[in-house]
Amino acid sequence: MIAIIDYNSGNVASVSNALKKLGKEHVLTKDADEIRQAERVIFPGQGRARFAMDQLEKYSLIPVIQNLKVPFLGICLGLQLLSNFSEEDDISCLEILNGDVKKFPETVKIPQIGWNKVRSKGKSALFKDIPDYSYFYFVNSYYYLGQSVMATSNYGIEFAAAVSRDNFFATQFHPEKSGEVGLKLLNNFCEL
Amino acid sequence: MIIYPAIDILGGKCVRLFKGRYDKVKKYFDDPLKVALKFVQDGAEFLHIIDLDGAKEGRPVNCEKIIQIARTFNMPIQVGGGIRDYQVAKTYLEGGINRLIFGTSAVKNPPLISEILANFPPDSVAISIDVDKGQVATDGWLQKSDLSPKSLIRKFRKIGVYQFIVTDINKDGTMNGPNFDLYEGLADCEIDLLAAGGISSLDDLKKLESLGLSGGIVGKAIYEGDINLKSAISCMKSGLAKRIIPCLDICDGRVVKGMNFRNLQDAGDPVDLSKLYCEMGADELIFLDITATNEKRKTLVKLVSRIAENISIPFTVGGGISSIEDIDALLKAGADKVSICSAAFRDPSLVEKAARKFGSQCIVISVDCAWNKDFWEIYVKGGSEATGADALSFAKKMASLGAGELLVNSLDRDGTCEGYDIELLKTISSVVNIPIIASSGAGCRLDFLKALTDGNADGALAANLFHYNKITIPEIKNYLKSNNIAIRI
Repeated sequence: MIAIIDYNSGNVASVSNALKKLGKEHVLTKDADEIRQAERVIFPGQGRARFAMDQLEKYSLIPVIQNLKVPFLGICLGLQLLSNFSEEDDISCLEILNGDVKKFPETVKIPQIGWNKVRSKGKSALFKDIPDYSYFYFVNSYYYLGQSVMATSNYGIEFAAAVSRDNFFATQFHPEKSGEVGLKLLNNFCEL
Repeated sequence: MIIYPAIDILGGKCVRLFKGRYDKVKKYFDDPLKVALKFVQDGAEFLHIIDLDGAKEGRPVNCEKIIQIARTFNMPIQVGGGIRDYQVAKTYLEGGINRLIFGTSAVKNPPLISEILANFPPDSVAISIDVDKGQVATDGWLQKSDLSPKSLIRKFRKIGVYQFIVTDINKDGTMNGPNFDLYEGLADCEIDLLAAGGISSLDDLKKLESLGLSGGIVGKAIYEGDINLKSAISCMKSGLAKRIIPCLDICDGRVVKGMNFRNLQDAGDPVDLSKLYCEMGADELIFLDITATNEKRKTLVKLVSRIAENISIPFTVGGGISSIEDIDALLKAGADKVSICSAAFRDPSLVEKAARKFGSQCIVISVDCAWNKDFWEIYVKGGSEATGADALSFAKKMASLGAGELLVNSLDRDGTCEGYDIELLKTISSVVNIPIIASSGAGCRLDFLKALTDGNADGALAANLFHYNKITIPEIKNYLKSNNIAIRI
């Protein structure tokens, strides 16, 4: 069973809809035990960093996520929260990735909204059968800068489009909103 | 990928050589400084300057001129040609040059490179590998060595160099396209690879990018006008594609079409039409509920859930949204964004509250306006009521309150098919730093191109044009792509 962590983030319904399309059984939950026992965990994210961290704290999910050993997929804010620290709200995050979250430079329109090309570095099972420079849908004002980057995009600067460390995977883009190629990536995650 | 426009200096003038031959030289400009100025104005991110006299003589000849360029323009510059000892390297690096390019001296004198790397940042050195039929060439391409490019790369990786420029000298100045096979063969070297030689079109640059190169050095193609530096840079800089957005007007749960809200015809089921537009390559969809009464709101929420279950691209819902509760219901049902119009004008604090609660990314403000001979005036209530307010101040205010995007709707152009109001788009995009979507007036492919270039819009919306099949999404997208607009196909 795939657990989608339901901590009142905006895009939970979209992720659930995408999994339905792929015919993958899943459950929306904030229950620590249910998340610990899941075979896979998806951590969607949308909105503000502080609000999201507060919700995780409230439901005692921080250590649960940090100790997961099964394939884990963070999406958008779900990637940023894996970092050490986010410039948005100046807040400490989950410290799963060694890096910080910064705001895009003023030279580009903020937020970045739209389809951007993603280039994966080397071979990753998450990007299996997805051509380099495929377009994915992004909505973000902040980006991750640090270790474990496995795919990049360019928006004024080169930034992390996807990261992976051990069982933790995360995308800055929204696979659930990226049409066929996004569904492909979600399916790859389900088959890890 | 970074485009490095090249300035090659011979006898103090800006020239290009053909296949690296000093007997086949074409002079372009007398003053390299003026050429640099032009490149800077075109948005260049990094300049590539070669002292050809220096390369030939084995000592710097145009050093002062080059440092003058660095002092005049505060921008990254890499320099090559005749840098054979540490003192020269130091003069350049302390004179404002960011990166030095070594060819011959590197092959003969690796300790020099180590010394520079011990005293300056790691990206201060690039090794230029000139390849002549698979072998490394040296001394301004006048002599050949017996080294292969890969063995040279390996050698310098070990002492800490990670920037390499690889030039096929049989391609340089030929405008025949670069030697893609050469670069493909170096793809597994884990280095920052810059291509040079023969790059003659934007397609060449795109192909090099797809091969994983971090930069492309372009000379002759810019001087001969085959590559427009300005548009090439804006195309290569950001991968973010411009968006083509069909707009569907919803009445009683059905899509309707018609001109200026008169003689509305049923155009079908919103879900079926959405799927069709998705298949055609729409980047996003907008649904505007034109009935927008309270009792019908519930129908709309149900419809939004149904759309969300069936399409996997982003969509915006608008029409009569006036409270946090309205927004909450639509977002929970699966809308990615909501578009707010009259309510944002009436109560700007709604925008601030909504952005704080749901995030700026899902708050779109519809700026409905018409030119009243003095300024663009905001209208509300579906364009029926003038407010006397200035659209530019309104746009600025909305952006400062946290709007994530503006839908710029010209009532003068609505339904006319005379083209988007480019002046309006240009003016609004110059006063806010959030994405803007052009709306109203699209009649042909050129209108889209103008909105996305001259108007500086990030996306363009059309309704009847698509519904009546006057022009299809693939037609527009192919046209934009052929005009070098970043577009998702």
